[in-house]
Amino acid sequence: MSTAVEVDDLSFAHTGADLPALERVSFRVSAGESVALLGPSGAGKTTLLALLDGRLQGWSGRVSVLGAPLDPDRPPPSARRPDTGFVFQEFALVERSSVLRNVLNGRLGRMSPLRALLGSPTKHDLEIARTALADCGIADLAERRVDSLSGGQRQRVAIARCLAQEPRLILADEPVSNLDPAHACEILALLTGAARTRGATALFSSHQPDLARRFAQRIIGMRDGRIVFDVPTSELNDDATAELYREVGPIPGIGLRAVS
Amino acid sequence: MAFRGFGGIATSGLIAAAILWSFATTDVEFSRLLSAGPRIADFFGRMFPPDPTVMAEIKKGSAETLRIAILGTLGAVILSVPLGILASETMVSPAVFRPIRTLLAFIRAIPLILVAMLMVGAVGLGPLPGIIAVAFHATGMLAKFYAEAIDGVSRAPIAALESAGAGPLVRLRYAIWPQMAPVVARDTIFRFELNLRESLILGIVGAGGIGFYIQTYVRSFQYDKAASVTIAVVVMVIAIEAINVALRRRFT
Repeated sequence: MSTAVEVDDLSFAHTGADLPALERVSFRVSAGESVALLGPSGAGKTTLLALLDGRLQGWSGRVSVLGAPLDPDRPPPSARRPDTGFVFQEFALVERSSVLRNVLNGRLGRMSPLRALLGSPTKHDLEIARTALADCGIADLAERRVDSLSGGQRQRVAIARCLAQEPRLILADEPVSNLDPAHACEILALLTGAARTRGATALFSSHQPDLARRFAQRIIGMRDGRIVFDVPTSELNDDATAELYREVGPIPGIGLRAVS
Repeated sequence: MAFRGFGGIATSGLIAAAILWSFATTDVEFSRLLSAGPRIADFFGRMFPPDPTVMAEIKKGSAETLRIAILGTLGAVILSVPLGILASETMVSPAVFRPIRTLLAFIRAIPLILVAMLMVGAVGLGPLPGIIAVAFHATGMLAKFYAEAIDGVSRAPIAALESAGAGPLVRLRYAIWPQMAPVVARDTIFRFELNLRESLILGIVGAGGIGFYIQTYVRSFQYDKAASVTIAVVVMVIAIEAINVALRRRFT
């Protein structure tokens, strides 16, 4: 099986920060896998995902995404960027634009710069956008302005935009932390299901152990910028999860035991 | 308490000195103020009834003022789009936006009437120096507004388009522009209203528009005609303001 993400001895500190955001992180994700990054806020999940998306520079170590090494000092060439799709915690949609326009924005990196600037999507682009909308169950919202939508609908638009990009790797940063539990399950099922049917790799972060267990084949636990564990979902035990949330203590209702 | 301790005493002393100095060196004769009442009454008396025979001049003058404001605003928009981009933190580095912002502040500091006088000297009498002066003067504010509109947009959609592989201009077009468009529309309409108000007086220095007639009639003591023109100006300002308020509300 080929490798989608390969991270070796990666360290990174934000400018002006005392502590590193990522410290000696190493892991590997095989193509087609669905992996969750689990950990409390501040564990470095967002930083790691943004870095894999090519939006952070100035790190050390070796990182390879979809077979191509990332340059620690400059963003990846724009031709490679559409291959990695990103779903943002805060949706990152253009609120005043229509749903279809937002989904077509995912196609911009696949168009020639001139066509993108002129705003004339081809039939093919439109077809892909419409398919993405239908797959996300929001075909009927295409002409609506995003600022008239609910949170769950917005995240569906964001996922449709990501799918329109035709990514081979989908990175999702806390994609459901702004949603209620019922919508959170629906959205994660949609996201991981769409990745599976398209043969894409999915790497999503979450601070909720139950969601990570339900939708990932493998779980990487992070805390204070380090990887604490990296196990298949079936092998994840409560002690390991509890260790991630040591200061938080036992969380009632999600099957965690306190550790001394 | 703002005025406490030595600093407070020093500040109070400075303010008192400034007021005393102004009185001492300005020829303030209260007798002149007392005799002003009858003069003003006489002035108003001569203004009434306003002379309605100047309708042709009013039409010609206000049309010209309107044209100066429209073309002056157009010129300012054309100058402000590139300057606004170059003055925004989102689009360029500090090495570019800092000097551009300083330049804009410098432009804003020059009063319109002064620019108009210079332009009359440079290109001669008529509406042309007025248009150039308005375009130049308004750019100082409008380019700053445009830069603030760019910098005021939410960054997340820009990052999303960057992640999708869109270049800077494409991001400007699809992530920044849709967010800033209503702000730009409101700012431009607001600046047009200011341009119209400010260009009403341009005629006084020979830079075209309805101000020319006010100037002419006051100088030749035809106060009843000046009154008619003044009423026309007030009506025009109120009308434009009402239209603009209604227009601005549409951009949300």
